[in-house]
Amino acid sequence: MVFASITFLYWFLPLVLLVYFLIPKGWRNGWLLIASLCFYGWSQPRLLGVLVISILIGYGAGLGLEVCQKKSKKKWKTVLLWTAIVLEAGSLVYFKYVDFFIENINRVTGLDIPLLRVILPVGISFYTFQIISYLADVYWEREKPQHNLIDFAMYICLFTQLVAGPIVRYREIAGQLKGRTSKAEDIKTGIRRIIFGLSKKVLLADLLGEFCETVQGFQEPTVLGLWLAAIAFTLQLYFDFSGYSDMAIGLGRILGFQFPENFQYPYAATSITDFWRRWHISLTQWFRDYIYIPLGGNRCKPWKWIRNILLVWLLTGFWHGAEWNFILWGLYFGIILIIEKLVKDRKKKQGNSTLGHVYVMLIVIIGFVLFKETDISELGQQLGGMLGLGGLVAVNQETWYYLQSYGILFLIGIIGCIPVGKWLVGKIEQQELGTKVLAVAEPVVWILLLLLSTAYLVDGSYHPFLYFRF
Amino acid sequence: MNKKEASIKNRIQILIILLVWGMLALLCWFLPRQELSEGERRKLAQFPTISWSSIMKGSYAEKFEEAATDQFPMRETVRSIRAVTDIYGFRKKDVHGIYLAEGYLAESLYPLRESSVHNAGEKCESLYQEWLAGTDTSVYAAIIPDKGYYLSEENGYLTPDYEQMKTIMEEEFPEAEWIPIEDTLSIEDYYATDSHWRQEQLEETANRLLDAMGGEALQGLEQKQALEEFHGVYAGQSALPVRGEPMYYLTNDVLEQCQVHHVENGKTLGIYEEEKLTGRDPYEFFLSGSTAIAMIENPQCTTGRELVVFRDSFGSSMVPLLVQSYSRVTVIDTRYVNPELIGDYVELENQDVLFLYSTLLLNNSETMR
Repeated sequence: MVFASITFLYWFLPLVLLVYFLIPKGWRNGWLLIASLCFYGWSQPRLLGVLVISILIGYGAGLGLEVCQKKSKKKWKTVLLWTAIVLEAGSLVYFKYVDFFIENINRVTGLDIPLLRVILPVGISFYTFQIISYLADVYWEREKPQHNLIDFAMYICLFTQLVAGPIVRYREIAGQLKGRTSKAEDIKTGIRRIIFGLSKKVLLADLLGEFCETVQGFQEPTVLGLWLAAIAFTLQLYFDFSGYSDMAIGLGRILGFQFPENFQYPYAATSITDFWRRWHISLTQWFRDYIYIPLGGNRCKPWKWIRNILLVWLLTGFWHGAEWNFILWGLYFGIILIIEKLVKDRKKKQGNSTLGHVYVMLIVIIGFVLFKETDISELGQQLGGMLGLGGLVAVNQETWYYLQSYGILFLIGIIGCIPVGKWLVGKIEQQELGTKVLAVAEPVVWILLLLLSTAYLVDGSYHPFLYFRF
Repeated sequence: MNKKEASIKNRIQILIILLVWGMLALLCWFLPRQELSEGERRKLAQFPTISWSSIMKGSYAEKFEEAATDQFPMRETVRSIRAVTDIYGFRKKDVHGIYLAEGYLAESLYPLRESSVHNAGEKCESLYQEWLAGTDTSVYAAIIPDKGYYLSEENGYLTPDYEQMKTIMEEEFPEAEWIPIEDTLSIEDYYATDSHWRQEQLEETANRLLDAMGGEALQGLEQKQALEEFHGVYAGQSALPVRGEPMYYLTNDVLEQCQVHHVENGKTLGIYEEEKLTGRDPYEFFLSGSTAIAMIENPQCTTGRELVVFRDSFGSSMVPLLVQSYSRVTVIDTRYVNPELIGDYVELENQDVLFLYSTLLLNNSETMR
């Protein structure tokens, strides 16, 4: 089930919340677990087994680690941790990467090993990372293991963030699993985040995606058309993924959870290092804490530091998909981050921020062309076309037409990427009259956005989130 | 604002939004289910019956999602909200490929799909080779321009290369005598909300065709109103809130005495079928819509001349205007009949044969057989 659907918004969610707030507090985790399993198994019921086995391994290993700790069996503790990680990661590798490996082995060796065509369980990359971080934290004794299976299972498969993040660390919500309350302020903030997230997805991301598809179907591609499609995809990806994260955080808030932020206006960054502090924060931090730092981080010899960065970014790219373009995409950012760090170390002075924005956007837009195009030869053609190679005309009537047709959407998209709205609301809130106006305007805007998003869902087709494939 | 005031404000705001959201949810759950969408002219998906196997296959979820979307309360109004936001909010130039220019809704035919036009031309040529080559038939052809021909370029919309379309057809089907009719038409000759032309505006075009085929010019036709409020196919597809328009038809004694035999269902009806005016597509009033083969007998014409028309839906309103010069007119729509079977219904030997297709079909000719 996807958040941006009539089924979720008007059937599943009202029913889940109604029951949640009517039943005694002690039953709520159990109810959320049932609801989450229904949510997950809605369109792929057969794959529920994979999720359940992962949860049971994580739960059992957590308890086992505690036993080893109490009995001071350090060696067994390490063996247990690695066994659990291999099982969890093995499941991820099997379901997500096995055909990629077979294809490449066939390509290199000339063999003809048949592909397994395994169906990818939705959200496997997210929940596997949650379980691994839980086990690592228990191993490092940063957290005590969860003894209640229902609470543990609910933490892993809570429908709010199960299929597309944010990756919530156990230590971030361990306390909330047992005791949490939903205050009026939380519910209000939650509703606001859900509606804004939904609008980002349905009113912006999907329409920008429509533009990208239209440009791909151009009879005669143009340089401007390719650039516009690349910009549109950059905006689409942000609104799609951050919209989902907003909805997840908002839903969590209504249920009394405080999930970490996943996006902080990444396109307002002035360097790529800054960009990655703002984009998919929960994933970046996961790789930092569980791969980069254990490898030695930057407190080691320069060559090891470079190795660490490249390895982390190769894995980051590969996490996004079993295709070479994702690996290239990860390494592309890894190399840029190394260069930035080296340049920054030499030049201590802060650079020009306008130039910084332009630089970031250029790197990010080209990066997302790498991200989008899984066919490497097509990728070369597209990048070449953007640079004016391949004999493409700069612009034609078709490009102008669609630029006019989607111009307002681009404008809204660009404004929506930067914290102008937040700044404006802040300014209004400072005035007494402004606060009163906002008190009336806020619910009007929410209702308007909810109705508009619903209208686009009713009159549209299927709206899967882009990050579901990860 | 102090803490207490802020808390009251929060509660009121939550109440308002939950009221709206909750009401919509309750309507989704309890409102009676709808069978048809009049605007979209299609059956709406219904909620599936639950079964273990359908749940395990995932088909229950899929069908439920479709039904939940299709059965959303006030569906037509909700679709209109989207259309209005697209056009007036986002200033998009079209909704689902349909644009509004000079008060007319029109479909964007851009880009020209040359392969489709070639396919249409080849189909016509193949019909000729199969049934007409070596006979004494006189073969004519005409292309009916869609509304975009008159609207798109002047209003800044993308325009397919109509000249190229014409050239391809003429090259693919050189045996036909091509009759140009685009200069006999203008945008006023089409319905504002539908793809089709208005029969009461077609006298000049019909005379052009009749003149080329050696028929007599039209005379003595009376204009009557068939429907007061006609909402065409584009109104439903785009969901833009547009006014309906009257639908007229032309008739006289000759047409009123004609009988139309529909091979598909064995029925014999008049030229105009009033029952269709209350059906899914009121344009089917003309010649009962697009049927596989229809044979029109004109008892008032004793010349023995016959006409065979290969056509699409535009032909439904044009053919009645061609009837007066012929004793019998056979109307064939090869989208609904296998061309190999034509010989079972009509013996082609010395008739006038007219191929009358619209640019809409030529650019999307996959349905032609």
